[in-house]
Amino acid sequence: MKNILLQLVLLVLLFFALWLGLSKIDWMELLNVNYLTSKTQQKLGELILDQIKNSGEENHDLKVTLPLDSLLTAICISNAIDRSQIQLHVIKSEEVNAFALPNHQLVIYSGLILETRNQAELSGVICHEIAHIELDHVMNKLIKEVGISVLISTTTGNSGSNLMVNILKTLSSTAYDRDLERDADIRAVDYLIRANIDPIPFARFLRRIPESKSAIDPHLTWLSTHPDAEERADYIIEFAGEAYGEYQPVLSPETWKNLQHQLK
Amino acid sequence: MNTITHFYYSPNEYESEKASNSYLMSLIAVIAGLPFPIINLIATFAFYLGNRKGTYFVRWHCTQALLSQFSLLLMNSVAFWWSISVLFGLENLSNSFIAYLITVFLFNLTEFVATIYSAINTRKGLHVKWWFYGDLTNMICSS
Repeated sequence: MKNILLQLVLLVLLFFALWLGLSKIDWMELLNVNYLTSKTQQKLGELILDQIKNSGEENHDLKVTLPLDSLLTAICISNAIDRSQIQLHVIKSEEVNAFALPNHQLVIYSGLILETRNQAELSGVICHEIAHIELDHVMNKLIKEVGISVLISTTTGNSGSNLMVNILKTLSSTAYDRDLERDADIRAVDYLIRANIDPIPFARFLRRIPESKSAIDPHLTWLSTHPDAEERADYIIEFAGEAYGEYQPVLSPETWKNLQHQLK
Repeated sequence: MNTITHFYYSPNEYESEKASNSYLMSLIAVIAGLPFPIINLIATFAFYLGNRKGTYFVRWHCTQALLSQFSLLLMNSVAFWWSISVLFGLENLSNSFIAYLITVFLFNLTEFVATIYSAINTRKGLHVKWWFYGDLTNMICSS
């Protein structure tokens, strides 16, 4: 009996020693896993963006893109985020929506910019989406809802256009898990405070348009797909209250006014 | 790892064939059962049940084949569910995960080779006793 137990212990030890030993090898590097993942993300991001551009024209007007770029750059610099990695796309649409796509792409619909009352509200939404990108929520959500094999097949051209529409729908009109949304909100407040932007307007933006209104208006996608706006506004205010700073606008009032004017 | 020893009696042709089949059953189940690890165990267990009233030589080898499947079931099940978690984005692909898959593959491969070796030799009427599993079988299987 003693001999059998000893052999069993040796067998278990052999298993764990082998596993531990093999874990020391950087398989991710050796098998180019990260490279392949980033390639898949890049391809997927391009395909989804093409799909978006089919439904709405991209706004390349410098009077629109430059102020938004200034906002994004200010947020990125203050938070040590590589600005060059994030691609910003403004889509002409009445829809009040913004979302993150694979390959660090940030899509904002002009409807959302018009719905915000000031640049701090818009910055809040931008920070929320950057947080999804930085926390790697985008690919995780897609893998969870669509499956990695399907995602890979889309990038190799073995899928129909219906699938791409579904992927786009998943990213643009379905909220992330409650916990992920909360993580993104808290991180967004962090980004705003570091960028000297008041986070309270972001909470006000969530609270201002009640869910009833978003249910009536089909264009208010961002709010209707992000449930519990009231609860989110509460914890954003609570979290922001702990770190009060002297906030300064990134854009001049005139630039902000011009931006909204251009989009009307 | 595997040692050929003398059984306390010489098994006849029929017994050798039956004992060899118990290993073949787990081999076929490994191929058919992938990627569901429970299939191997069910197939070997079914064969074991069918032969539990057989001669000592047959019962002994059916038991050894069954026991070897138990430990594989544990490690293969972990590998299966871990892979599912990675595929559905609940877990990230990591060095530990890849190392675990390789470890499990090496253990499965060793078991696979040992099973073929045992199937061939028991068919010849030779008694193949595996390291650890052989002693465990001796303890469980009474003559």
